[in-house]
Amino acid sequence: MSKAKENKDRKIKVLVSKVGLDGHDRGAKVICSLLKEAGMEVVYLGMYQMPKDVIDAAIDEDADVIGPSFLSGEHLVYTPLLVEEMKKAGLDDVLLIAGGVIPAEDIPTLKEMGVKEVFTAGSLTEPIIKYIRNNVRR
Amino acid sequence: MKATEKVVPVTEQKDVDWDKYLAAYYEKPKSSLTWSGLDVKEVYTPEDLPLEKYNDIGDPGQYPFTRGIHRNMFRGRYWTRREVIGMGSPQDTHDRSKILVEEGGSGLNTIADIPYEMGLDADHPWAQNEVGLTGVCITNMYDMETMTADIPLDKVSWSLITASTVAVVTMAQYAAVAKKRGYDLKKLRGTVQNDPVHFRYCGFRPACPLDLSVKLGADVMEYCTKEMPLWYYTTVNLYDLREQGVTAPQEVAFGFLIARLYIDEMIRRGYKVDDFMQRFAFYVSCHIDIFEEVSKIRAARRIWAKLMKEHYGAQKASSQQFRFAVHTAGCSLVPQQPLNNIVRIAYQALAAVLGGVQSLHCTSYDEPVCLPTENGHTQALRTQQILAYETGVTNVSDPLGGSYYVENLTNKLEEEIYKIMAEVDKVGGMYEAIRTEWLDRVFEKEALTRQKEIDDLDKILVGVNMFTTEQETTTPLGVQRISKASVKRQIEMVKKLKKERNQALWKEKILALKAAAERRENVLPYMIEATEAGATTGEMMGAVRLAYGYPYDPIEIIEAPF
Repeated sequence: MSKAKENKDRKIKVLVSKVGLDGHDRGAKVICSLLKEAGMEVVYLGMYQMPKDVIDAAIDEDADVIGPSFLSGEHLVYTPLLVEEMKKAGLDDVLLIAGGVIPAEDIPTLKEMGVKEVFTAGSLTEPIIKYIRNNVRR
Repeated sequence: MKATEKVVPVTEQKDVDWDKYLAAYYEKPKSSLTWSGLDVKEVYTPEDLPLEKYNDIGDPGQYPFTRGIHRNMFRGRYWTRREVIGMGSPQDTHDRSKILVEEGGSGLNTIADIPYEMGLDADHPWAQNEVGLTGVCITNMYDMETMTADIPLDKVSWSLITASTVAVVTMAQYAAVAKKRGYDLKKLRGTVQNDPVHFRYCGFRPACPLDLSVKLGADVMEYCTKEMPLWYYTTVNLYDLREQGVTAPQEVAFGFLIARLYIDEMIRRGYKVDDFMQRFAFYVSCHIDIFEEVSKIRAARRIWAKLMKEHYGAQKASSQQFRFAVHTAGCSLVPQQPLNNIVRIAYQALAAVLGGVQSLHCTSYDEPVCLPTENGHTQALRTQQILAYETGVTNVSDPLGGSYYVENLTNKLEEEIYKIMAEVDKVGGMYEAIRTEWLDRVFEKEALTRQKEIDDLDKILVGVNMFTTEQETTTPLGVQRISKASVKRQIEMVKKLKKERNQALWKEKILALKAAAERRENVLPYMIEATEAGATTGEMMGAVRLAYGYPYDPIEIIEAPF
């Protein structure tokens, strides 16, 4: 099988994680189930992960997408650290998307930091799936 | 140009879909299910409410309290207008609390942040980035002194929202400060949430081992019953369970079964329910389906009264009464078109009041965006005040009592709640349902169903799956940020305290606490002494955790300093 064909057949692999101390994980678990139902392979790291833990896991799992889930306002603290770890590890083609309770005002800031897209609380599932399919490395 | 001359031009709308307009004119609701999926009829008649059943309803103030715990209800006293506050440093939280009191709030209500609920000191390596982001971090007695400074503790009723095992620390810190300021503990009024069992489901599992949750929950209940008899020593939190995505009857069934874990522990310690149940309270969600929420509350009151009387043998009315505060449903709010949340919250608050609530927190409109801004907070209080002072809902007790529909729905919810309780019995009772993660699986399944209902338009959410607009780029009343400087100062003060306290006295008291926990004694009196000797939240929790065989640090990165 050619490399291109192999990549095409391989399921999209998404790594979802909480970051830091915040354990509000209802949204993270729901999105994991929905992405699985959409045919993606999903790894949920769970709670109490620090940025380096998340990126180490993304390397181990060869994840195509990294999806940190935030609620407590710590997105501005941990996103730069996640991006820094991604850069160190050379994960240039891995798609970083964030979800959770995030003020509209912070979305441009997160994008400047290196998050490709933000899906806030109250998002529907279909746009998330479409976004991942259209923007994941191939 | 003068301000009065400025005209905002009317937006030009070129194309209108008139077919859509016509469809909307004739449109009927797609579903007639309640929010929790109960099937209801088009109309209810006297046949749905046989009068011989009235004894099962009773008048307000009469067993089984279906219609409320007081005969005169709000004519006797308004519900407490108690907005939850917790942000930044103890000083920031103190200041915001006083603002809301000045604006007409009638109860103080402060919430712990994530490090505090986890039992981590502000200087814990994992806590430092998160101090004050979601509440207030009290690491020692001096933080509690700052938060409560110059507030007359004998005049206020203070609700302390610490839900995890750390509630016992919060009580020790509050009691120590009150004693230092010369107050008689027996006269203090207030509430501590103290429901560690449920809190494992809010992301605090490492801080809430199941055995310690029941033990420490009961320690607070036992101590307050003896030493602080006016204090509500728990508000068993049904609200947080509902926020996991479960239905109205699941909320009550699961919450009641968790409440029974504490009551059974108190009975095991040799108490009778009439000795201690007078100060047992609940925290309930009010979601958007007004009639279902009112019926849920009415059913809950009836079930609780019967359970207390028939199962536990409670004789006193105050041991049979279901007393509750309401937190309007945060999970029903969305960031899209955020001002709409004010309307959602108002309906939910109305349901709470029609249900006979004792104390109410109206969520602020910016709940799905950030911590409340000062304006957002004040607006939420205004929602309560409009309801209390303008609408006339306070005139009559249980105004929906006798409604064919509401009485029927109350009966139906009661049946559903009993059915769910029986399911938990089948898996071996609540302790087993938690230990085996049966309850986790229920929560996950229900949360997924809720999202699919929105995705599939089975439930309408304005601004999300209908009547959508472009994504907002700003939040109407701004975003609440936390002062990094004030948090930094707090962390430095903790470090200073740890260096400068009387080390010999501190060590003696913290070891005494650990020894008491090892002897399985009530730890709260030892915590008061330890906190007076400068022991911190993390140290005191760590001492108790070690005595029960758990790692000192729930995150497992720092070692015990004793």
